[in-house]
Amino acid sequence: MESSKVDMFLMTNSKFFESHQLPAIREQLLNLDESKMINIQMIEFKDPTTILIVSILAGALGIDRFMIGDTGLGIGKLLTLGGCGIWSIVDLFLIMGATRQKNMERLQNVLIMS
Amino acid sequence: MKNDLHIPSTEHEREYASNGYIMSLVAVMAGLPIPVVNLIASLIFFLANRKATYFVRWHSTQALLSQLSVVGFNSAAFWWTISIFFFHEKEVNNDYMAYVIAVIVLNVLELIGTMIAAVRVRKGIHYRIFIIGEFTDIFVKESN
Repeated sequence: MESSKVDMFLMTNSKFFESHQLPAIREQLLNLDESKMINIQMIEFKDPTTILIVSILAGALGIDRFMIGDTGLGIGKLLTLGGCGIWSIVDLFLIMGATRQKNMERLQNVLIMS
Repeated sequence: MKNDLHIPSTEHEREYASNGYIMSLVAVMAGLPIPVVNLIASLIFFLANRKATYFVRWHSTQALLSQLSVVGFNSAAFWWTISIFFFHEKEVNNDYMAYVIAVIVLNVLELIGTMIAAVRVRKGIHYRIFIIGEFTDIFVKESN
């Protein structure tokens, strides 16, 4: 794929990924066929900041974990009322990283399938 | 003493590593009378980051070990206090006062160390807490 298109994609979507993952993503996209770009652009990434706000407001009910797709952990958090409050506190500091990790997994799934 | 001031780290890695220390401070405030809340919080943070990059793993382990270093003393002080004021099994004596003052000093030192670590790590400096940094080297290996 053209490097200008890849750079444009990274500029608009860099906030969804860990900064140390960006060089690897760029490399993968450069080796990708032009026709697969539409699959990449159709992926709906989760915004880490939005998830952090949800975690602050409804973290004790596990809504943040449900939103990023960790249903099992979400149910666990819901049933334990945010791990008696401790898990909710820890998740305030973990959830942005977890969201970026999930976005990376989502991108990798599409790259593997295409 | 090994002094790795320049472990390469990205902005996000610094943020996560620093979050480990900040979180343990927040957990101290949230669960203040109970001495193990901050330890449990640090343990969850450590487990969540066990597959992260070396920089993040190292600092989440150091945060956990710094909590572990005080939890034994805190628990003893907590139960000694409970036995005096709730069960009236013992009474306040010089030994108790000396121990409580020592525990408070230890906790303040640990708190200051954690705060300095949070600030320095956020700037990308590979900060090692006195003695605990040496133990962290034993537990954390560079390869994942």
